[in-house]
Amino acid sequence: MNLLINRTTPALALLGLGLAGCQPDIDAPTASTGSANFSSYVAVGNSLTSGYSDGGLYNEAQSASYPALLAQQFAKTGKGPANFVQPSFSAAKKDGSGYIKLLLVNGALTPVQPTPPPSTTNPNGNSYLGEAVAFTGNKLAGSGQDELEAYSGNQPDNLGVPGISVLSADKTASSTGVAAIDAATRGAAAAYGIINPFYQRLLPAADRGTKDYVTYIGQKSATFFTCWMGNNDVLTYATNGAVVDAANPFSGLTDTTSFGKGYRNIVATISKNGTVGGVCANIPNVTGIPYFNTVTVAAVAAAFKAQNAASPGVFISVAGTTPVRLATSADLLTLTAQAYIAATGAGSTPTNPLPSKYVLDAAEVTTVINRTNQLNAIIAKTARQNKVALADMNTFFNTISQSGFVTSTVNNSATFASGNLFSLDGVHPTPRGYAVVANEFIRVINDFYRASVPTVNPNNYRGAVFPQ
Amino acid sequence: MTVKTLLLAGGALLVSASAASASGFQVNLGGQKNIGMGGVGVGLSLDQAAMFYNPGALAMVRENGVQVGVNAAIARVSYSSQYGGDQTGIDHKVVTPFNFYAGFGPKEGKFKAGIAVYTPYGSTLKYNDNWDGRYALTEITLQSIYVQPTASFAITPTLSVGAGLTILAYGNVNLQKDLPLPTGNGHITLDGKAKTQFGYNVGIFFKPTDKLSAGVSYRSRINAEVESGDVTYSGLPTGASAATVNRGFTANKFSATLPLPAVASVGVGITPTDKLTIGLDASLTFWSAYRSLDFAFSGNNGNGTTDGLVGGNTTSSSKRYYQDALAFRVGGQYKVSDKLAVRAGASYDFTAVKDGYVGPETPDADRVILTAGLSYQVTEHLGVDASFLFEDFLKRTQTQAQLLDNGTTDRVAGTYKTQVYVPGIGLHYKF
Repeated sequence: MNLLINRTTPALALLGLGLAGCQPDIDAPTASTGSANFSSYVAVGNSLTSGYSDGGLYNEAQSASYPALLAQQFAKTGKGPANFVQPSFSAAKKDGSGYIKLLLVNGALTPVQPTPPPSTTNPNGNSYLGEAVAFTGNKLAGSGQDELEAYSGNQPDNLGVPGISVLSADKTASSTGVAAIDAATRGAAAAYGIINPFYQRLLPAADRGTKDYVTYIGQKSATFFTCWMGNNDVLTYATNGAVVDAANPFSGLTDTTSFGKGYRNIVATISKNGTVGGVCANIPNVTGIPYFNTVTVAAVAAAFKAQNAASPGVFISVAGTTPVRLATSADLLTLTAQAYIAATGAGSTPTNPLPSKYVLDAAEVTTVINRTNQLNAIIAKTARQNKVALADMNTFFNTISQSGFVTSTVNNSATFASGNLFSLDGVHPTPRGYAVVANEFIRVINDFYRASVPTVNPNNYRGAVFPQ
Repeated sequence: MTVKTLLLAGGALLVSASAASASGFQVNLGGQKNIGMGGVGVGLSLDQAAMFYNPGALAMVRENGVQVGVNAAIARVSYSSQYGGDQTGIDHKVVTPFNFYAGFGPKEGKFKAGIAVYTPYGSTLKYNDNWDGRYALTEITLQSIYVQPTASFAITPTLSVGAGLTILAYGNVNLQKDLPLPTGNGHITLDGKAKTQFGYNVGIFFKPTDKLSAGVSYRSRINAEVESGDVTYSGLPTGASAATVNRGFTANKFSATLPLPAVASVGVGITPTDKLTIGLDASLTFWSAYRSLDFAFSGNNGNGTTDGLVGGNTTSSSKRYYQDALAFRVGGQYKVSDKLAVRAGASYDFTAVKDGYVGPETPDADRVILTAGLSYQVTEHLGVDASFLFEDFLKRTQTQAQLLDNGTTDRVAGTYKTQVYVPGIGLHYKF
């Protein structure tokens, strides 16, 4: 029997291979643009649009920004943009503003912020973790922030500016009814090019300090746009534990009147009053991000109890009649609280409570969510009025934070670092997260414009980087 | 010939089929003559392969004989992901399901006894590197060999019964996939041997006239149980992240159970002339026994998601919820001369896998099967049987939405299309 098998198997295999020479073909679905015109695509927005990740803007993450991915997928219809320009840093300064890395510190993987080289004022500096940062050494006149290497090309197509809000984008937006506040805020929006280094680097020198963002984006003539603005009108306030920075007119919760005015202005500008197709994305509920869900009250309380069995819990400093109270599970601690507590022991006693800027307490959570919903209503109405699609990123991110998001059998979640979707700053997505966001945009675009733009495979994009 | 020597012979082969020739990972390659006739055989008494198709028919097989057949199954699987782009395929592994039968009995007697060795279930697939479903499966080898001592008795000249003890004499499973570690891709291999298990194969054969015959048969389920299979990893981090990541992968042993389901068949044979034989079969494979694929690990493994990291769970469970699968088969044999017989057949096999449950280890779908074969009697005793089987799976697409609805996101969305080519050859010696 063996003889038969040994003699005939090669012959049979050869016969079979000959007959089985061709792989069965699966016709790929055809990509089409539907009623959309992708020939010139422009992205308007903030850090999320710029490709900001791990607490910084740097070339590697920027290359996976959702606008870059959208442009790449639009091109698969054969009628996409000829090229889509992102304002990258020069190769020698590819790490831009620097980015957080996960490093082994005292035996535990810890996110480490890049800081300047050691100096007398900053003895523990880490020389930007060896990253090729793009700081020029100068400070911005309007804010004292570090200046970044200027972007030298023509006006890019990705116009995302990290940190920008609707209020700071439009020098006519502020409409609180208080003349002094409005004057100061409008003035700051006009001068935003010498306040925000990410905006300053995009502007030609002559425009810095005078040209506001709405005017800047009005210089483009897009045939298709995405607009994801408004996040920083609540996020800046929330991530600072609902503490307003007196020196920064854009650090509060933007009021609905000012937001409505600014937002309508932005969308009317980029859509040429509703004649250009596009998508407006709304504001995800910021309390669902890892920044507010990684350092939990329960975990900190347990750590205190391990040190002192009599510890009653975590003392926090809050606004209101009782300035210090014990935190409950309804109070959210910021990601930055971890290092602060470790360094100072804050929160362990009523005399040393955790400062308010590290806590988004239950009342503040409600305030932030309510304002987010109000602003989202304005975004939805503005999209409708300009006849463009609405990407409901609020619902999308809520789904992710509740149930995770599976990409080709890989379980992704809103868990800090290991969840793959959120980067090491706890706020901004990873390249994987941006790929998932791009797919949601594509889903909305395909639906609204009857297009069939293929989606990207998120597994081809990385999550947070863990050292080997 | 003893069971042991048979096994040694079988061990020299790569035994399994690439999801060939029946629903799920069933392999319906029982005998070369039958393969050429679309896989019919329950209502026929062609040769010693009756032990596989219907043990009841063995007593009606006129001659004593020994026969062996071997097939080369070549599967071509194409997969196109939900993201479009280039389709991927599988490496072209040739696997060789085989069959061996020896049947003896007194001439003109009522008894017949024999032994059968065959490969009723198996699958071998190796997907291209970096394919979209790499975190579900990169490679599978599933092998089983049944040894079946059989006895058959003719109660009357027109009615015979038969029974065989099926022994899962050899079973092996090897599963490999990539791990989506935060430090980059790792790889895991599960490899185990199945314990010896027993079942039965019974049948009744009825031949009221020379022109008509009919049969029913039933082969019972055997659970292939792997205990203490080996778990091996590669690509785990060795430096800074080792402590964080590797605690999720402490298992080095696994156990699992895979049902090799029961099959019930009915068949009819029609012999309008001396030269022509036609067979019609219908069979039902009780795949509904396969509800989930559960692994128990000696340490951490599986897709624990509590801290967002891969690994970190001592069990894993993957839904299957297969459905019972019907197959209809028809085939004919025409004796051109005393020496030469030609055959042709066709069958349609319904899929065992529901929409939204298609996994890469069995990219199952409804299948159309076409076969042809011939036999040449070299001498009075010795003959050669050749067969060829072509199997075309209907194109099958599942979406991520279906996977989410069913809780089956441990497999990938996309489109599968499979074709299988199985040339085979056999020798028979009758006396």
